[in-house]
Amino acid sequence: MKPIIEVSNLHKTYKKRKSTESVTAVNNVSFTVHQGEILGLLGPNGAGKSTTIKMICGLIKPDEGNITIKGIDNQNKRLKALNHISAVLEGNRNIYWRLTVRENLEYFAGNRGKSRREVASKIDDLLEKFKLKEKENELVNRLSRGMQQKLAIAVAMLAETEVILLDEPTLGIDVETGYEVRELLRNIAKEYNRTIIISSHDMDVIQDLCDRTIIINNGKVVTNDRVENLLRLFEVRSYTITFENQLSNKQLFQLQQKFPQLDYTPDTLQPKLEVNLSNSNEIYELFDILHQEQTPIETIDRKTINFEEVFLKIVKGESSHELVQSN
Amino acid sequence: MNWFNLINANIRKEYISLKRYLPNTIATLVSFFIIFLALFAGIQFIGDPGTKDVNTQYVIVNYVFWYLALIVVQDIGYQLANETIQGTLEQVNMSPLGLWKIMLARLVSTIIANSLIVIVLLIATMGITGQWLNIDLLSILPILALTLISMIGLGFIIAGMTLVMKQISAFLQILQFILAGLVFIPLTVAPFLAFFPLVKGVDLVRAVMIDGVTLTSFSAFDIFVLVFNAVFYFCIGLVFFLYCERIAMRKGLLAHY
Repeated sequence: MKPIIEVSNLHKTYKKRKSTESVTAVNNVSFTVHQGEILGLLGPNGAGKSTTIKMICGLIKPDEGNITIKGIDNQNKRLKALNHISAVLEGNRNIYWRLTVRENLEYFAGNRGKSRREVASKIDDLLEKFKLKEKENELVNRLSRGMQQKLAIAVAMLAETEVILLDEPTLGIDVETGYEVRELLRNIAKEYNRTIIISSHDMDVIQDLCDRTIIINNGKVVTNDRVENLLRLFEVRSYTITFENQLSNKQLFQLQQKFPQLDYTPDTLQPKLEVNLSNSNEIYELFDILHQEQTPIETIDRKTINFEEVFLKIVKGESSHELVQSN
Repeated sequence: MNWFNLINANIRKEYISLKRYLPNTIATLVSFFIIFLALFAGIQFIGDPGTKDVNTQYVIVNYVFWYLALIVVQDIGYQLANETIQGTLEQVNMSPLGLWKIMLARLVSTIIANSLIVIVLLIATMGITGQWLNIDLLSILPILALTLISMIGLGFIIAGMTLVMKQISAFLQILQFILAGLVFIPLTVAPFLAFFPLVKGVDLVRAVMIDGVTLTSFSAFDIFVLVFNAVFYFCIGLVFFLYCERIAMRKGLLAHY
């Protein structure tokens, strides 16, 4: 199946103010997104995520490279391409605070050439779905930040485009509303078969929602893989083993020969061994060494790594993970 | 239909804003009305008694045009600057209709809202001062429409400059005086001004409202200049705006103030 979005070799530099120097914001970024997919864009501040999203939206012109949306070149036929995408770029700042909830929805629909009558029932549906019905005549500046955020997403939904781009959709909202927003986004992707691209610092959002994650650092794509693959990659072979007795010197010597990275804590109450295995067969070798002296094992814990740790390892270059194009 | 819905949405937004901030709207109306009366009184007291009626009518027509031109040209600049700060400009620019059409719809809605205000105040002023201008709508409306089109062109130029430069309030203040000069200087004094925006239109409207001339009495050259100015300034304004929009997109300025 042909991807709905194809980004190829994007490059963008900005000139520094009062200087002849320039800063590279995006450097040779390429990826594709398929219909119905939820893609996460992760990266530290200034990595190039927002610039990439805004180039997809046609709001920033790339110096080099192409973006096609449903096969339409978004530089040469920008307005035609905009029929297929909508976005929430500045969160709650993307809506008019001096209009009511309903007036905002009607105004943005009007800006897309739709009449109030045409969108009336869709607005009612969205207000119900986004739990904003009771607030429909409330001025936006009187709403909580979470509600404003939901309204901004509803505005994007009302455009009925196949692709929705969200820049930091849960930024600054409380935990409960954050969960509500996540649930909404999951439903949008599932029920309406919408393609969603999310840029976020919130690892939980990316881990929870996204089918695939692209990590951008210094303007380059450093990882493009499914979230579970990335977790698996770092998670599989890190173990903590506690013992009833101390390990013998001979055992320790053998273990250190075999696993140079191991960390042994000879605690008198509960000696602890932390070890990273490079492949699954090594666990047998580990147990062989422990079994030689019948060392009584108290607990074996497989260390779980969260997505934030994975992200940090990749961004800091601690990972040997090669760039995977899992399109 | 897209155009109709777009203009309708923007007129409604303008109406909501006037209604929601009623004290501000009333204050604008009152200040405009007081200036009208002050102009009238000033001419009554210090003007030449022999020509005071004509002078009063002349000033009122000029002031109305100056006010409209100022609103049309400045409002779009302030709106764009505000939207950049608020963060709504990018969202507006995500419309598949294009930013220029939305800006045009806003200019049209601003003109409609302010024209209605001006007409009401003009009638009130005429009633109070007893200086009744000749309101020949068949002659005035085509001239006014063509003059406003050239003003929209200027509005686009201001909008384009705002997109790229962001801070243009000082320039807008200077523009007030330039517009006042264009409106108040008679064409008989400086005939070359006929090819500047507004000037010909104001001159012809003055002829209709003060001297009672009808549209059919104007020469073909007068009409040609009027139409030429409308088309020329609108096209120049639009091309300039689209050029500035491209610069803003290349430099990533749409989201930054």
